Amino acid sequence: MEHQSFLGFITDHLGQFLGYTAFANMTVGHLIMIAIGLIFIYLAIAKEYEPMLLVPIGFGILVGNIAFFPGLKVGIYESGSVLNYLYFGVLQGVYPPLIFLGIGAMTDFSALISNPKLILIGAAAQLGIFGAYALALALGFSPSEAGAIGIIGGADGPTAIFLSSKLAPDLMGAIAISAYSYMALVPVIQPPIMRLLTSKKERLIRMKPPRAVSKREKAIFPIAGLLLTCFIVPTGLPLLGMLFFGNLLKESGVTKRLADTAKGPLIDIVTILIGLTVGASTQATTFLTAKSVGIFALGAASFVVATTGGVLFVKFLNLFLKEGNKINPLIGNAGVSAVPDSARVSQVVGLEYDKTNHLLMHAMGPNVAGVIGSAVAAGILLSFLF
Amino acid sequence: MLFKGKLKVQLLLCGALLCLTTIVKAQSTMDLRINEILVVNQSNYIDDFGQHSPWIEFFNSAYNTVDMGGLYLTNDLDNPTMYQIAKGNPTTKIAPQNYLVFWGDNQSTRGIRHLNFDLRTSKLVALFDANGRTLIDVVTLDQAHRTDTTFGRLNDGGATWGFLDKSTPGANNNTKTVITSAEKFGMVDPTGIGMAVIAMSVVFSALALLYGFFKNVAKLYTIDYSRLFARKKASATEKPADSPVEHTGEVNAAIAMALHLYRNQLHDNENTVLTIRKVSRTYSPWSSKIYGVLNNSR
Repeated sequence: MEHQSFLGFITDHLGQFLGYTAFANMTVGHLIMIAIGLIFIYLAIAKEYEPMLLVPIGFGILVGNIAFFPGLKVGIYESGSVLNYLYFGVLQGVYPPLIFLGIGAMTDFSALISNPKLILIGAAAQLGIFGAYALALALGFSPSEAGAIGIIGGADGPTAIFLSSKLAPDLMGAIAISAYSYMALVPVIQPPIMRLLTSKKERLIRMKPPRAVSKREKAIFPIAGLLLTCFIVPTGLPLLGMLFFGNLLKESGVTKRLADTAKGPLIDIVTILIGLTVGASTQATTFLTAKSVGIFALGAASFVVATTGGVLFVKFLNLFLKEGNKINPLIGNAGVSAVPDSARVSQVVGLEYDKTNHLLMHAMGPNVAGVIGSAVAAGILLSFLF
Repeated sequence: MLFKGKLKVQLLLCGALLCLTTIVKAQSTMDLRINEILVVNQSNYIDDFGQHSPWIEFFNSAYNTVDMGGLYLTNDLDNPTMYQIAKGNPTTKIAPQNYLVFWGDNQSTRGIRHLNFDLRTSKLVALFDANGRTLIDVVTLDQAHRTDTTFGRLNDGGATWGFLDKSTPGANNNTKTVITSAEKFGMVDPTGIGMAVIAMSVVFSALALLYGFFKNVAKLYTIDYSRLFARKKASATEKPADSPVEHTGEVNAAIAMALHLYRNQLHDNENTVLTIRKVSRTYSPWSSKIYGVLNNSR
């Protein structure tokens, strides 16, 4: 056997190595996805749009779209790779309930308990989910895919990931990115709809200040909430169970350490993992499809329908309420569970018309009810379509 | 009375609803079903010894794992404990909605899934619980003697029996294309309006239940019990109670702020005032000079 020259050896192996680099495997799709990832990171850092989510997701998109030579066990879809192991928590729906545990431990349901009728606004805003479901069916998506897409209207990232991992795992990346993008864009999407659907007189409605809520009532809420909702929709148990458990840790007053862990280190770790892996799951080869474009369009539509549903329901409710007990319809938008962004939108729009009319506290009621409502809706979709 | 009529009815209804929904069916060995049988096996499924033996398939219709260990199989209802399935063996556990096949070849020395009776000479096959008395399922084999054609439930765990188009040991008896529940739902409700109506009703029901509960809980908390008792005393002595004075949160905040300012301002003019205060020490034997060391040296 003839010995290869040293220069030839170097050239061959360098050539082989170059074949493994991202430059050799890069496609236009990868470049587009990297650009999207950079936009996410820019929006998070420069504009401070949902930075806790958009930074991990944006960076995850970069990680997922560094083109590599297949078979080296580095990609998120390659069995045995580290990213694949981390992605397991998304695929099997492990991370979303853990995030709900943290959300429960940091949520104060006082606004809801003090004025329970605000719970119903959280139910009305779930219309966005089923509006998007109908639209998705009309666009030719299968019922399972339509259900997974519809949940974007619930404006709840973990719920969207949980449901899509069960109903349409192939679309999960697009659904998660769409849900988080529109959640970040809540301050842009909702105000025009709120102004369009309300009169000036309605926007100036002042609501009664909420009554003080006792510690015992707060402790009863998660227990009663779990029993009353999960007896009706047991399929919502992974999300609702963890949400109410987290809230009991907070409100019981005797498990402060556990509550602190749930709302601090635990939710931070899971947010990092879920954000990075969901971002990395958007590999150009699986993400840049006509379906993804459709999902983004339907996501926007679902937010519009959800906001409309919430605002119109408050107006409907006001027909039956006495003067002095009426609800400002500007808090109707808060029924979508983008906590606390949609409640902040109510506050900002409310202050535009009356500098002294603070709606934030009132809007937090439907806002947290929206979290419960979207989890219940996810449970219903799961029972019919899984 | 603590609960008024309407509130009482609502609470009773809630309680009744909760009680009804807690009546759940236990899932156990009673969920096992004889699912498929092949009596005359000439060229069908081969056992672990390479023999074409008669076989019987069991289906776990439950949504939890069921262990068949300890149960009895027989071909004679007068002798229900003819063959006991060995206990503590992992191979006798059936996963939810799954299957387990036994060989009815009268060769029980070949393993725990080989029975000590032959299906070819049996008129029936029955499954009894571990107590040896409770009959779980029984099938007569009069019609089942068709060569290489299995006799089974047309749908797993279903009531209707017949000869199956294909033998499916350890698999679903219904070999027709399976339509998922989502596809079925899509066929019934192609526009999604049905889903919207059903799902929104359920979401509203769940949250309305929560609303109803907390509305009534709030009522309990807003009752001023001390005033209730006071009113009783007042009526006893025929003195009318004062009408309740309700303040909004803003008024309460203003009163609190005024009190806070008043208390803080109390000391503003006292900062420059010298106060002469008499200092007195209370007597204690521990500090008494009478018991000092110098007293002893005197």
